[in-house]
Amino acid sequence: MLKNTINGLDKILFVEIPKGSVILVTGAEGTLKSGLVFSMMANHVADNNEHGLYVTLEQNKESHLRNMNSLGIKKESNLHIFDYQDMRLEWMNSELDLITMTEEVIDSYKDKYDNLTLFALDSLNALYSISEYGNMRNRIYNFFTHLRDEGFISFLIMESAQSRIAGQISQFYQTERFLADGTIELGMIEGKGGVKRYIQILKMRATKHAMEKHQITIGDNGINILGPIY
Amino acid sequence: MKTSDENVPDLCEFQEDNCKKFVDKIIKANRGVFMMNSLLEKQMSGYDIIKEIFSRCDVFLSQGTVYPILYALEEEGLLHAEYSKGDMRSKKYSLTPRGRAAAEKDIEDFAKSLEQISFLLKRGY
Repeated sequence: MLKNTINGLDKILFVEIPKGSVILVTGAEGTLKSGLVFSMMANHVADNNEHGLYVTLEQNKESHLRNMNSLGIKKESNLHIFDYQDMRLEWMNSELDLITMTEEVIDSYKDKYDNLTLFALDSLNALYSISEYGNMRNRIYNFFTHLRDEGFISFLIMESAQSRIAGQISQFYQTERFLADGTIELGMIEGKGGVKRYIQILKMRATKHAMEKHQITIGDNGINILGPIY
Repeated sequence: MKTSDENVPDLCEFQEDNCKKFVDKIIKANRGVFMMNSLLEKQMSGYDIIKEIFSRCDVFLSQGTVYPILYALEEEGLLHAEYSKGDMRSKKYSLTPRGRAAAEKDIEDFAKSLEQISFLLKRGY
């Protein structure tokens, strides 16, 4: 259902991602993580009678939409954005359990829209930074299970501690990588022609995909995936 | 489903028995109606609504179940949202004319449904 949502995505994703998959989208800052996910979701719901939910913990809705607009990505009416700004400001003296709350938010949207098929959380890092760490491994396992049980394709955006220029992958967040059904890595690589952005599918269970790094660019028509980059 | 104190049954009287369990479930499942009911008299934030329903009904609606409904109702044009003067931390919601009409109808229909259920149970369908 997502293979044709981005120009050139079919160069790296040969078949559709199964429903119920939980996919990590990782990379350093400025590597188009949010743009890629939002673009896939917006383009999918634009062509289908389905709904998507994009939960942002890092920015408020208006700021996120401004960023997406600057990338040429338009929000569709059936792509819903939920931000935690109001909740966090109004309940600043209370301890909020954001994992449970995110599950409740998903359930609320699912109650309202029967055909909610896509979910994204931007980002896992923000979720961790404002959550209690106690028993986090179990909680994240249960959260992943909840997402799978809902049956939609979920994207969890995670900023890696990887350097801007391709370097060693951080040892952090290994649990999430292990639990996820797929990992898409975005990064930057320096070559003779300057710095280029790349996309690489490191893992995608039950889905045939390319292994090479491919160049990813932003044009007037949004995000494009070009040929392999070395 | 009037909002003035003298017309609202004291739900705390149910506390001691099994009724509390059913009241809790009914209010949570129909929280949108109760939220709109709270907004009939004055503008309120998500925080205010949760507190008001808790104090009037002794039912705590968690934040993750209330804010998505506020955002959806705003998107549908049934609620208007604005930040309080001098307090950018609190977004206050009020019913639009269309929202007020929808709220009044929902509240009336909800009350009728409860009466209908009560009647069906007593009659022994």
